[in-house]
Amino acid sequence: MDSRIINTPDSGTAAKRPGAIHDLTGAARDLWHSRYLVYQLTLRDILVRYKQALMGFAWAILTPLLVVSAGVLVRIALQHSAGANVGFSSIAGIAVKGLAWSFFAGATGFAVNVLTANAGLIGKVYFPREALPLSAVLASSFDALIAGTLLAIALPVLGWRPDWSLAWVPLLLAALFVLTLAFALLVSCANLFFRDVKYLVQLVISFGIFFTPVFYEPVTLGARFAPLQMLNPLAPLLEGLRLAIAEGHNLLVAIVDPATGIVLWSPWHLAYSAAFAIIGLMACTVIFHRAQHRFAEYL
Amino acid sequence: MSTTPLIRFDGVWKKFRKGEVHDSLRDLIPALLRGVARRPVDGQLRDSEFWALRDMSFTVEPGEALGIIGSNGAGKSTALKVLTRILMPTLGSYSVRGRVGSLIEVAAGFHQDLTGRENIFLQGAIMGMRRAQVRHKLDAIIDFSGIEGFIDTPVKRYSSGMNARLGFAIAAHLDPEVLIIDEALAVGDHVFQRQAFNRIRELAASGMPVVMVTHQLDRMAELCTKALLLDRGAVVAQGTPAQVIHTYLNAASTVSGAPAADAPVHLRRAQLLKEGRIRSGDQVEIRVEGTVPAKLTQHIEPVALMLRSAQSGQLLFCSGTLACGVELQPGDFRLDVTLQMNVPPGIYLIDVVGGDKSSEQVLASVPPLSIQVEESTAFYGTVNCNPTMRLRSIEQRNRHTA
Repeated sequence: MDSRIINTPDSGTAAKRPGAIHDLTGAARDLWHSRYLVYQLTLRDILVRYKQALMGFAWAILTPLLVVSAGVLVRIALQHSAGANVGFSSIAGIAVKGLAWSFFAGATGFAVNVLTANAGLIGKVYFPREALPLSAVLASSFDALIAGTLLAIALPVLGWRPDWSLAWVPLLLAALFVLTLAFALLVSCANLFFRDVKYLVQLVISFGIFFTPVFYEPVTLGARFAPLQMLNPLAPLLEGLRLAIAEGHNLLVAIVDPATGIVLWSPWHLAYSAAFAIIGLMACTVIFHRAQHRFAEYL
Repeated sequence: MSTTPLIRFDGVWKKFRKGEVHDSLRDLIPALLRGVARRPVDGQLRDSEFWALRDMSFTVEPGEALGIIGSNGAGKSTALKVLTRILMPTLGSYSVRGRVGSLIEVAAGFHQDLTGRENIFLQGAIMGMRRAQVRHKLDAIIDFSGIEGFIDTPVKRYSSGMNARLGFAIAAHLDPEVLIIDEALAVGDHVFQRQAFNRIRELAASGMPVVMVTHQLDRMAELCTKALLLDRGAVVAQGTPAQVIHTYLNAASTVSGAPAADAPVHLRRAQLLKEGRIRSGDQVEIRVEGTVPAKLTQHIEPVALMLRSAQSGQLLFCSGTLACGVELQPGDFRLDVTLQMNVPPGIYLIDVVGGDKSSEQVLASVPPLSIQVEESTAFYGTVNCNPTMRLRSIEQRNRHTA
């Protein structure tokens, strides 16, 4: 058969795979050019969710509220069997971590279907496909923002005092966003090629909460498992948020449990998560960008 | 960008898979184990694959409009999807310079729960418009769509015609530099189709390169400067719209290629003697030139004219030298034919052939002539019944009876 290899700088060619850097800058440039599209898609996702919905904006609060109440319940049970009371700071910690977790779970669960749900669009019109998972994560961020605002009102009312350690929060949230976006890109694209990925993601969301320190702190796992727990890239982010908000702890200072000698917190944990998020986003963007040429064929 | 918009397809091949596609992880692992041993090169076909496009090449320069025709499954839409970057070619290359406006199923991006107005902003963004641009064009879009009264109603309550109108209205106001159209004209009612077509013609007349896929052959002939015919992914004919439509319509019936040397008649050419606008009811003159080598037998009709509608391919009229009682003597001939185009506005093809009446075989033919008939004030409708009207005087007393 014919096998011609032709390369044009302008538009599409069959041959010559460009390098990863080229894919990365290409995806970034495409997204920048279509920022208005990302805005419109996000707006669509938000509007559609709150239109014709019985509970309206209460939806944004319901999931985190359930997660947090479950967490508090679990904590009460744990402390009760240990013969101790549940303090305010541990409830605040669970609230912060529960909120962050529900953002991650909500965004991933939404993003995994975003390409297949927009199959009609992908098969008919060209636009940078990255815009779809990105707008899914942004729409979930909007939900998290509503719940977060509520938390920001509730905590001071309940007697919480802000501390300088709050300055860490934007960095932690940015890392959480980047990590979630990386995962969203990966699973949305994987689900397009393999339709059972969404069930896998459902499982990860349902049971991931037990492998991530949401309801408990890693220290409760003991000397052997606590360090392992921190390998979950979400764990340092969630623990960081708890320490910075609920405990007023400066994240540059390490915490070592005096009784067991377990390193509960170290700045390196945060560095690990941030690096994981950034490298992960780059890798997933390249994977997504390379796969998107085939999207229309597999839908 | 200062570069001229231009569309180029260079030896494009596109491979598709038929049958089962492994689309769950559960199927993937065994498939991977089997597939790892023999991975075919891009240019080769596996059993389950076929070429949707084979070595397709064409260019469209500014001011040109290319029409792509072909039967269902010929690869027309695949070609457009490659052109609009939705699909990547397996082999070959293409380039499109300039901002592409595509009218491919224009309402694809609508979200059913959003209102018409919200969908204008969304669809505009999907098609690459900027926010200011959409704002600027909003009134024009709503006006063109003709559904002002329902613009704040969710799209799910729209009729399919309203959907299509709104979709087209958005697409038509994109200000593209290159226009790609896939059956977008086949939506809405008659009035809207005309309105949509006029808009496309306006854009094409401004020098914008156009590629269109359609089954409405008359529209294609009216709009396009050139055409190509696809059959099972390959370009089988290329040329003026009239030639290509002719090939398409006759693909099954006539034998193309050089006529046999010993044919009883040779046709050299047929041409329209008068250029310019032709309206319903006008006369056209056609000059046919050819040679009759020897005395003709009775059942040979050396020149016959067949008038077809380019839209439907339907034969509307057929007559020839036998029917008109003209006898051609051996030697070169020049035959002038006058036809009165008592037909409604549209595109028509005139096939000029020489044939055998008894066996119904075509013995000689020339490229078909295409005629665009425009509306006239003389009559409306499908046929001209040649009306004559005589005014009688009315007796005066009728006026004053009251």
